[in-house]
Amino acid sequence: MRLHVATSLVVAGLVTVVGDPAWATQTHGEPEGLVVHQMAHLFFAVSMGTLSYWLGARGLTVRRGWRYIRYGAVGLICWNLNAFIVHLLDEQTDLIGVQQVDPLTLFLAPRPGYELLAPLYYVVKLDHLWCVPAMIFLYFGLRCLLRESKAGDAPPEVS
Amino acid sequence: MTVNAVPIILVDLVGSFLMIVISFLCLSMAARLRRRAPDEILWTYLWWVCLGMAGFSLSRSAGHILKQVLVLTDHREIWRVINPYSGAINTLMFILVASVTLYFERVWAAYQQILADKREIQAASRELVYLNQNLEELVTERTEALSRSEHKYRRIFELSRDIVMVTTVDGTILDMNPAGYSAFAGTERPRQTPVGSHIRGLLADPGDWAHIGRVIDANGFVTNAELVLRRPDGSERMALVSGSLDRSASGSDTVHLLIKDIEQRRQMERQLAQTDKLASIGEFSAGIAHEINNPLGIILGYTQLLLRREAGDSERYEDLKTIEKHVRNCKAIVEDLLNFARSSPPVKGRIDIHLIIDEVVQFIAQHARLEDVAIERRYGQQIPPLLLDEKKIRQVMMNLIMNARHAVGRHGTIRVETGLSPGQDAVQVRVIDDGCGIQKQDLIRIFDPFFTTKPTGQGTGLGLSVSYGIVRNHGGDIGVESTPGEGSTFTVTLPVDEEQAR
Repeated sequence: MRLHVATSLVVAGLVTVVGDPAWATQTHGEPEGLVVHQMAHLFFAVSMGTLSYWLGARGLTVRRGWRYIRYGAVGLICWNLNAFIVHLLDEQTDLIGVQQVDPLTLFLAPRPGYELLAPLYYVVKLDHLWCVPAMIFLYFGLRCLLRESKAGDAPPEVS
Repeated sequence: MTVNAVPIILVDLVGSFLMIVISFLCLSMAARLRRRAPDEILWTYLWWVCLGMAGFSLSRSAGHILKQVLVLTDHREIWRVINPYSGAINTLMFILVASVTLYFERVWAAYQQILADKREIQAASRELVYLNQNLEELVTERTEALSRSEHKYRRIFELSRDIVMVTTVDGTILDMNPAGYSAFAGTERPRQTPVGSHIRGLLADPGDWAHIGRVIDANGFVTNAELVLRRPDGSERMALVSGSLDRSASGSDTVHLLIKDIEQRRQMERQLAQTDKLASIGEFSAGIAHEINNPLGIILGYTQLLLRREAGDSERYEDLKTIEKHVRNCKAIVEDLLNFARSSPPVKGRIDIHLIIDEVVQFIAQHARLEDVAIERRYGQQIPPLLLDEKKIRQVMMNLIMNARHAVGRHGTIRVETGLSPGQDAVQVRVIDDGCGIQKQDLIRIFDPFFTTKPTGQGTGLGLSVSYGIVRNHGGDIGVESTPGEGSTFTVTLPVDEEQAR
């Protein structure tokens, strides 16, 4: 057993240290991380949408705690869409140029014909205005569930 | 377009800080929920969601705060190094939170299943505890209930006056209640039993069972099928049979039969029909008799008038005598018909029935040729005088005893018995002979007018019908039981006058 482990480690080390780039593997260039990040935002939004749907479909939202959690989920959906737009404007399009004039001043240069993107960019940069209320709703939802649990209410048994 | 970045920076810094604080508060809440009910999968799920959210908030917010601090302090190069790692960790946390959240439906389904199982287990547990604590009592109660049930149905089976029988599908008798043993074995004791034999042996027509078997096979039951049972003494009884097929998981199907003897009911129906028929004939006969009686009186009167004018030795005198004789015969028949039809009301007086019987027996003993025929009289005690039309009752007794005389032929015994009915409200006179008896098919017609088994010219067939009319006119009844070759019993029932009875 030990021999097998040692052999495996040696082979892995040789491959890592002395191996040349192999054409059989795919390279991962710079934009890939951003694309993954954007896809994660969409995935996060879809999962929150699914949670919100099931909470309603199972009738749990008649109880205040679960209803707050649903509001939180909706807030996080909005935040994800907001973040998706910010990343899109920041790094995936040339529709707007952003320069830091000084630490407290920004210069926004939208493409001609896309001037409305400047105020939009400014607003979507304030993304915490979505996620903080969403987290507050999540907190209140959990607090209600805890209170109900302390009050001896039966756990949810809605179909 | 130059814009102030302060709101963005402030919202980013404060929001990031709040995200960390609130997400950890959420995690704390979820942890408290989980501690309250560690086995609740739903709380565990929420704890994992909150843990993911806390990780996500921490990684993201820390990155944001660090970014703002490094940018504001002009350390952009450091941030460029940290930025990819911060973003990657942040992305991983997204995916983690989203993945955990997606399991909500599965967790919820599992949670519901666990709750349902828990309820079932709790119910089963309560029942087990109850059974464990009350086992002995429950067994006793159940045993008593079974015993009561068994006793109840056993009593129904045993006390039923109808025959209850269990057979195989092909008709082999497996069990039978005492009424069945009584009917088919002549005893209620099971040791002399037709069990094991085939039901065909109990039927007058073995083909009946084939029909009933087919119906049961097709429908699973049979309702009120008529058949004729043959009893050990050879007598036959009409019966209704209902039954159903009892299918058994073991494959040994049985048939449960309920057999109801309806012979007595059928006899009563026949008697009722006979009474109705005789009443109709009586009304018809009375109408005709009245119409014929008057012309006959005129013919007889004129014949007698002519006879007075004729010399006793003339041929015309003899002819008129012949006419007179046959007219008198006709009048006698008409008289009998009127008696049968009860058109003439009886003239009643209080008389001793035994005196009438004595007179009739003596008359017959003197006038009939009784070579080797014995007439016995067995009179009951305390027979009260009856309110009767003496002349007509004498005629009834005469008819019955003369019929018995004809039935026994040259050798035999005629017995005349009297007695009170079981209810003490009537006197029964039985005329019993050991003669040739009456065929079954004749029994139902025996009281019909003009029905006779005697050769032509030896009887009018009105004797019994007249007797029937007279007895019915007295409020009584007349019946007959007969076995061909063994003899007959005619029973006349006459009501006791209520005043006399008191």
